[in-house]
Amino acid sequence: MFRSTSLRLAAFYTAAFALSVVVLGAITLLTTRAALKAEFDARLGAEAAALAQEFRTEGLSGVVQAVRERDRTPGALDYGLDAPDGAALAGRLAGSRQGPGWSTLRLSTAHGPESLRVLTTTLPGGYALRIGDDDARNDALEATVLAGFGWAFAGVVVLGILGGLGLSYGVHRRLNAMSGAAEAIINGDFTRRIPLRGSDDELDRLAATLNRMLDRITLLMESLRQVSSDVAHDLRTPLTRLRQRLEASRTAVTPAERTAAITGALEDVDALLDTFAGLLRIAQIEAGARRAAFRPVDLSVLARAVVGDFAPSAEDAGQRLALVASEPLAIDGDPELLTQMLVNLVENALRHAGERARVSVRVEQHGQAAVVAVVDDGPGVPAAERERIFDRFYRLERSRSTPGSGLGLALVAAVARLHGASVTLADAAPGLDVRVAFASFTRRPTLGFPNVADSAPSAPVA
Amino acid sequence: MKLLVVEDDREAGAYLKRALNQAGHTVDHVADGREGLLLAAAESYDVIVLDRMLPKMDGLAIVRTIRASGVKTPVLLLTALGGIDDRVEGLEAGGDDYLVKPFAIAELMARVNALARRPPPQDAPTALQVADLRLDRLARTVTRGGDRIELQPREFQLLEYLMRHAGRVVTRTMLLESVWDYHFDPKTNIVETHMSRLRAKVDRGRARELIHTVRGAGYCLREDA
Repeated sequence: MFRSTSLRLAAFYTAAFALSVVVLGAITLLTTRAALKAEFDARLGAEAAALAQEFRTEGLSGVVQAVRERDRTPGALDYGLDAPDGAALAGRLAGSRQGPGWSTLRLSTAHGPESLRVLTTTLPGGYALRIGDDDARNDALEATVLAGFGWAFAGVVVLGILGGLGLSYGVHRRLNAMSGAAEAIINGDFTRRIPLRGSDDELDRLAATLNRMLDRITLLMESLRQVSSDVAHDLRTPLTRLRQRLEASRTAVTPAERTAAITGALEDVDALLDTFAGLLRIAQIEAGARRAAFRPVDLSVLARAVVGDFAPSAEDAGQRLALVASEPLAIDGDPELLTQMLVNLVENALRHAGERARVSVRVEQHGQAAVVAVVDDGPGVPAAERERIFDRFYRLERSRSTPGSGLGLALVAAVARLHGASVTLADAAPGLDVRVAFASFTRRPTLGFPNVADSAPSAPVA
Repeated sequence: MKLLVVEDDREAGAYLKRALNQAGHTVDHVADGREGLLLAAAESYDVIVLDRMLPKMDGLAIVRTIRASGVKTPVLLLTALGGIDDRVEGLEAGGDDYLVKPFAIAELMARVNALARRPPPQDAPTALQVADLRLDRLARTVTRGGDRIELQPREFQLLEYLMRHAGRVVTRTMLLESVWDYHFDPKTNIVETHMSRLRAKVDRGRARELIHTVRGAGYCLREDA
């Protein structure tokens, strides 16, 4: 029973309330008792003072008469008057021999023993005046107070237990639904989701969050499955070629043939390792652990460095690579990954846009976004395939024969995702326009990272 | 040179030892981290080649321990972990260079040579001179035989790196990592392109070439042919 959290909570609150009732009852009882006693004492004191006054004005006989009169009145206090020698003069309490002050006197009456609280005062001339009253009346009052609190205590406990049971039943039922869904998922039903009640309370919000987590996990598992089968499928071709080359080296007739076959095999191995390195890097980026290394990066500085590094090679190949970036545009990011992303985009454009292609790298502000665009004037990508070119190993039909692992743009997509940036492809008519849009940026120029800032050519490279 | 190779894979270790022996180095090879630590502390080596993941004692822990005990021998870390943060971790622990497995043996040789006799950073002179080629790091000027040579910033960095490693082979990967700060392999031949432009500026029309291509390994800037 006490393994239910809500029940345990309800029990705790019930106990806390019950304890408060007990404490409150005790305080009430004590103050009531003190007040009653004070009132009782005051009443007896006032009566004693009144009779002492009577003694001074009317003398002994007046007091004796007053005592006898009052003793006869039903429901009044009890009195007694003793002579200085202790002889009883008048009243029920006469002759009981107590000294002056407060005392308790036990009398037996027709109704049984009676306990009286008595105030004894000494009148002038040595007469002892006793005034007493039954203090059972106080006890009765106290008992009433006590009983009231007892009922309250019982009520609190009963209500607490009932409330706790009700609460725990409700929570228990919903948690059961959650763990039922979890069990189903554990047992392989990945489509199961936790039912929502639509009340938008904490449990509903928790269930919604868990459902979103499950969606994400399912997506990741799906992509993992996809990657594994892609890897298996895509590595088969180069591995087959490697095997053929090794076989050729074994059957080679001339040393030159053997050397060629072995060199070819080494190249195949390097290409395979390259593919693995690419996959590993994408996996690391997707794991998202690099966000800790984020710092301000000026996209203009970064683009200038990359263009500066690749423009000479492009020129040698009869292509042109130009930079269009006028102002500092800093985002929070990982400079190393952003450089690799831009390098991949530039290499991709140079490789696929063909001879005499013109490629430009633009860094510009579009509304609230900082955009890095790589635009070429090559054959472009058919609209139907634009989404898929960011998948691992996806290659257009016409580029199957060019070297490349098919991982470059997948890495671009992964780096963009890590930075919360969106990648869009557009038709540059002719050519392809790849845009990476970062959601937030600052105009404040940054130091960039040293190696890049250092190497930035003074003028745009064309 | 006297080298210590700590590598737990027997076959890989034996291969390294043989290759380094052939290159004229004396090599101690141990397969166990604790043994490696003892040797590193007791003997005097020119370079320690250390596998990052070892049985009994982690390679990073060894580097930290020998650095803490004041041993300044250059350490080349070998690792199967190619992660971005793994590299930083390795260097922060006190490693001097980091090479991801698998690697070409020529790459390892070049890095071992670059690490040995590496001048301590504080001794880096403001001017470097090889034959009649002079590079002033403060004024950022380069002259050859008194003639001023104008270089792009990247070409300047490239030449500075070659001159600092004068007489030793530097590989394409070493250049990418140190000059470009690229810790990935671009498909474009940017190193070759920049190198050929640099050579055109430094060597063209000169009686003696200083920048040489080392087949299958990389480049070397040296006085003699």
